[in-house]
Amino acid sequence: MARLPYIEPADADPVTKKVYDDAEARFEMVLNIFKITGNAPEIAEKMWDIYFDILQEGPTLPWIEKELLILKSTKMGDCLYCVTQHEVVSSRLGVHQEKQEHIVGVEYRKSPHYTPGEIAILDLCAHVVLRPETIPAVVWAEVKKHYTDAQIIEIVATIGAYLQVSKFGDALGVQLEEVWHGHEPVLFAVEAPTSKASQHHLKEFMAKQPVG
Amino acid sequence: MPATAVIEKPTDEVAEIFQKAEDHFGHVPNFVKVLANNPTFCKSLTEFMIQALGEGRIDWAFKELVILKTLRATGAYYSYGAHEKLAADLGNSPERIGDTNNSLWVASPHFTAGEKAVFAYVEQIAEDPNDVGDEIWNPLLKHWDNGQLLELSAVITTFLNIGRMGDTLGVSDPILFSKAVR
Repeated sequence: MARLPYIEPADADPVTKKVYDDAEARFEMVLNIFKITGNAPEIAEKMWDIYFDILQEGPTLPWIEKELLILKSTKMGDCLYCVTQHEVVSSRLGVHQEKQEHIVGVEYRKSPHYTPGEIAILDLCAHVVLRPETIPAVVWAEVKKHYTDAQIIEIVATIGAYLQVSKFGDALGVQLEEVWHGHEPVLFAVEAPTSKASQHHLKEFMAKQPVG
Repeated sequence: MPATAVIEKPTDEVAEIFQKAEDHFGHVPNFVKVLANNPTFCKSLTEFMIQALGEGRIDWAFKELVILKTLRATGAYYSYGAHEKLAADLGNSPERIGDTNNSLWVASPHFTAGEKAVFAYVEQIAEDPNDVGDEIWNPLLKHWDNGQLLELSAVITTFLNIGRMGDTLGVSDPILFSKAVR
């Protein structure tokens, strides 16, 4: 159960309602992660603008590359909520199952499904998640070989934003919506979550039956 | 030197957000100038940062201690000194600032029970956000309302993000506010 109430659209104030309307137009539904931010509308309004910027083509990076960064960063953070949803989004954008599986660990480096540019930003992503202080010069050199400064900002903003929202949602106990019940995990099937609490959340999720 | 160019002269696309940053901070922070390589993200991230760095449902002075604790707990260096200065400018004593370090806050006489509950929450999020148990959450509920808990969760995770971004991009902002904050 979530730690704070979900503010349903019928109960939302005008500022939150506008955020919900934008979210529904983009994602076909108002996700629980949006509903929990209805507890502080002024924060919801500014926070979600960043994610609306990320979850689209461009402005400088293909959406599919941003999805790879989201999968990598949230898998490393053991976020069942984000990984589950973005496995589906990535799949819709054309990231097939084997490519998703190869994002775990460093398998992507020798995978035929990844371009040198994608490998470079996934290497960068792993360092950003763990400890930016350890980013080697060779990683920066590879990233800069393939991406402009504007794209580097978009890459780092995407990784940072998903570190933020995944930990925000997990800390508040935001649960996957019924629509995801029955989804077969891809990334967590390759490698189980390292967090014991996250292992427990995965087990509970797997026990839920699909609705409808 | 940052990983990307630093945009000193704003283009038309970022002129408005540079002005907003200058109005809020007293100058345009280097973080904003680096973000300006990508006007879309410069606008949304700067707007969110402006919203976070000010009075809110949580008293700004305490919010700054939460930011310091978050940066420490997550091993972030970006703007730590600037937040220490800001915490002091907002009225926090050197003892309150120093006692956010490691586990000193647990026995410190300088914090309320509600403030200590927040530091425990920060440490748990840094360690494993999937494992926020009742022993962490129930003390928070005693002292803070739902809107405040949402804001605290947002502040902690936002500065986890900002710290990571600043460190990754190699940005230095020794001073965040060059105008009076109170």
